[in-house]
Amino acid sequence: MKKRKSLLFMLLFASFLVLAACGNGGSEGDGGADGEGPVTLTLYNEDGEEKSFDDPVAQKITEETGVILDIQYPVGGSDESVPLMIASGDYPDLIFAKGDIGMLIDAGGVIQLDDLIEERGENLQAMYGDQLDRLRNSINDPAIYQVGTFGVQDVPLTTSGTFQLQLEVLRELGYPEISTLAEFEEAIETYYEMYPEINGEPTIPLTLQGSDWRWLITVGDRATAAAGHPGNGQWFIDSDTGETTYKFLLPEYREYFEWLNGLNAKGLLDPESFTHTQDTYISKISSGRVLGLADEDWNIGDARNALIQADMEERTYAPLPVTLSENEQHQALKDYGFAGGWGIAISSTTEHTDLAFDFLDWMASEEAQILLNWGLEGEHYEIVDGERVLHEEVRVGLNTDANYGRDTGVGYYVYPFPQWGTGAVDSNGQSITVNTREQVIEDHLEPEQEALDAYGMDLWIDWFPQTEELSISEHGRAANFSIPSGSNIQIILQRADDITEQRITQAILADPADFDTLWEAMLDELDAAGVEQLNEEMTQLTQDVLELWGGDVQ
Amino acid sequence: MSKSIAPVTPQAELPLGKSGKKGQRPQRAPGEKNIWQRLNNQKALILMSLPFVIWLIIFRYIPVFGWTMAFQDYKPQQTFFEQEWVGLKHFQDLFNEPQFFRALENTIGMGVLGLVFGTLAAITFALLLNEMRFTKFKKLTQTISYLPHFVSWVIVANIVTTMLSVTGPVNGLLTSIGIIDGPINFMARPGMFWGLITTAEVWKSTGWGAIIYFAAMAGVDPQLYEAAKVDGASRFRQMWHITLPSIRPVIIVLLILNIGNLINIGFEKQMLLGNNIVADRALVIDLYALNYGIGMFRYSFGTAIGIFKSVISVILIVIANTFAKKIGEGRVF
Repeated sequence: MKKRKSLLFMLLFASFLVLAACGNGGSEGDGGADGEGPVTLTLYNEDGEEKSFDDPVAQKITEETGVILDIQYPVGGSDESVPLMIASGDYPDLIFAKGDIGMLIDAGGVIQLDDLIEERGENLQAMYGDQLDRLRNSINDPAIYQVGTFGVQDVPLTTSGTFQLQLEVLRELGYPEISTLAEFEEAIETYYEMYPEINGEPTIPLTLQGSDWRWLITVGDRATAAAGHPGNGQWFIDSDTGETTYKFLLPEYREYFEWLNGLNAKGLLDPESFTHTQDTYISKISSGRVLGLADEDWNIGDARNALIQADMEERTYAPLPVTLSENEQHQALKDYGFAGGWGIAISSTTEHTDLAFDFLDWMASEEAQILLNWGLEGEHYEIVDGERVLHEEVRVGLNTDANYGRDTGVGYYVYPFPQWGTGAVDSNGQSITVNTREQVIEDHLEPEQEALDAYGMDLWIDWFPQTEELSISEHGRAANFSIPSGSNIQIILQRADDITEQRITQAILADPADFDTLWEAMLDELDAAGVEQLNEEMTQLTQDVLELWGGDVQ
Repeated sequence: MSKSIAPVTPQAELPLGKSGKKGQRPQRAPGEKNIWQRLNNQKALILMSLPFVIWLIIFRYIPVFGWTMAFQDYKPQQTFFEQEWVGLKHFQDLFNEPQFFRALENTIGMGVLGLVFGTLAAITFALLLNEMRFTKFKKLTQTISYLPHFVSWVIVANIVTTMLSVTGPVNGLLTSIGIIDGPINFMARPGMFWGLITTAEVWKSTGWGAIIYFAAMAGVDPQLYEAAKVDGASRFRQMWHITLPSIRPVIIVLLILNIGNLINIGFEKQMLLGNNIVADRALVIDLYALNYGIGMFRYSFGTAIGIFKSVISVILIVIANTFAKKIGEGRVF
């Protein structure tokens, strides 16, 4: 009897499984192109997250274009999604693949957009103008496969990826001038001695997040910033000759990591910097006991919001123009031009090519850009004296609530679609993005304003070398170059990155006496891994990009 | 071990220790004339095994055809006949890669440690469980002990990192009872990494691994224990002379199968618990194949690694089986 019961149960369970499987299969078929009702387009967004397309802004988009987006995103690390997509031949309608676009082009997974842009891409043409060449793929295949992700005409009003100090530290120390690593170190050291504990927990003078891919952000790229080099991913590019070097070979980087090594030896670097998870990292910062940071602002947004909500505004951070010494120029405000490289592509297997293209083109229109940036008139902003003004609660929400954009859709669909930059204006001469100079000043927190007043500045960007002083990049950012898949560059770069991430980490944590030996050993290892060949081939690639973007190739 | 009270023979042929029903086994009766008649006699059995044979062919033999990729510069958008054949290029690349040998060393190292300690822990646990008299408590313990098996490595890794963090409970305990002076950053010690992985693995899999041994122990003839008791054997003696020899064939068979899988230790735990500091000790073949193979779109290279792994597995399993044959214990083939 007992046996029979369990058998029955098994059968029941099996039939549930079958039913569940059928259920999934059934729901995929909706949104067919029958001419009526909105069409569902699938979008693979490599930076996406779980999100249904039903907020007010999304509804408006659907109303205008007849498109519902079904946003797919990589689960846990994005390395495999695109190769798997190619292997299965099962492409979504729209693909935002970031650096993996090269694989999709090789596999024939995406279509050329040149003709479509010429025939019916009025809005895209208006947006990119003479920067259209920057969308082209490569010198051997100068077709356009994607419409770009980054803002066209960006004028920075804020910085990201600088060294940062708590406002409270600056206040306590009497708002000192801090522009070198030595001054930065002195500041955290002094404050650490004064307050070894904050809110009853041990103070952390400086913490990094070097346990996952963010190593590149908080360790590798901060060395670039300190060296006064523009952000070109793993590369340093001589802007005159286009000569490209794997950046960790350069002496500036050694100097920076030697400084970190000294900091660690003094006990000023969080010993868990290379082992804690992102969650732990954010929770440490959110507790208000981390004095200094070296990170991109987008990586610590959650912590900033948590600090504000916990009434610890004075524990949020001020960006500092810190470099190795007085001789370097901080490149935070550098104009890279329209960055190209990454963008949204249309798959070769979609049944809705025209609709997908028209959708992307519409997203580039003035009407759409205002909707995406500002939300709905009456619901999120009003027009006062002919100018758009965000509702108070929307502005506060955008600044303090990490989920606000996600919940309401305001500002959520700007990236990674074609977008106007912070310097762009609409046909009435108003800023298209919500970030105007006045807006940024108004958004300053109270202690932030206090600090700015003490330093006699309007904006934090005022103490960085200004955009006009820095040359415009003719090759955008090397981090966005599309590197041919399976090429020597790709393989050697992976090897070199593995070596540097491990060896530099070990060197930072080593006894200062061993630092030189470890660094030399790393250089030898890089040499053996073929870094010289890497530099040569990458130089070629940079020179090709310079030529391609110069508009000489057709 | 005294042979006189170890009834290993019946179980030796049926690995899982269930007392075999001899009647169902196909027997070659002397009177049978030809193969067709034999097939006819066994048609019910053949029919029953057919779905599994088909399954085996579809999922285990047809995919082997994909091995051809390792000898091509495979591009997914091209058909089989358009692919470019490159011979052993990818294998040469593989053997020229210093990282690969590091990965191989780590894989085998952690594989062996996991196998040895995993098996020891499972058998010990099964023995203890088997000796327990209070049935309800026994069942409860067993259920609780195999729960970790169902917990994802992502969660286990989080538990481990939290427990072992500088401010975590393990450091707190060790410091308070004075074994160490200051907290140890366990996650940043390359020398500890293999041990860490093995410990986590043992914690996660002991209860689950013990189930089969425990089942085998349940099949031991109670008369043997009674006889031993009459002869005055203690509980420990009974374990040593009756329980363990009785399950020896099971142990050997499982060991052989696991040795074949030694190289397939996966990469989740190493990836989740590893970091740049311990990377030299944490790189395993599967992680290497992911990063330098499919992650870079190099299907051919990834396949070459897969073939290499299979070859190693076959070699290991043949060695283990030959060894088992030599010592005259249960074997797989």
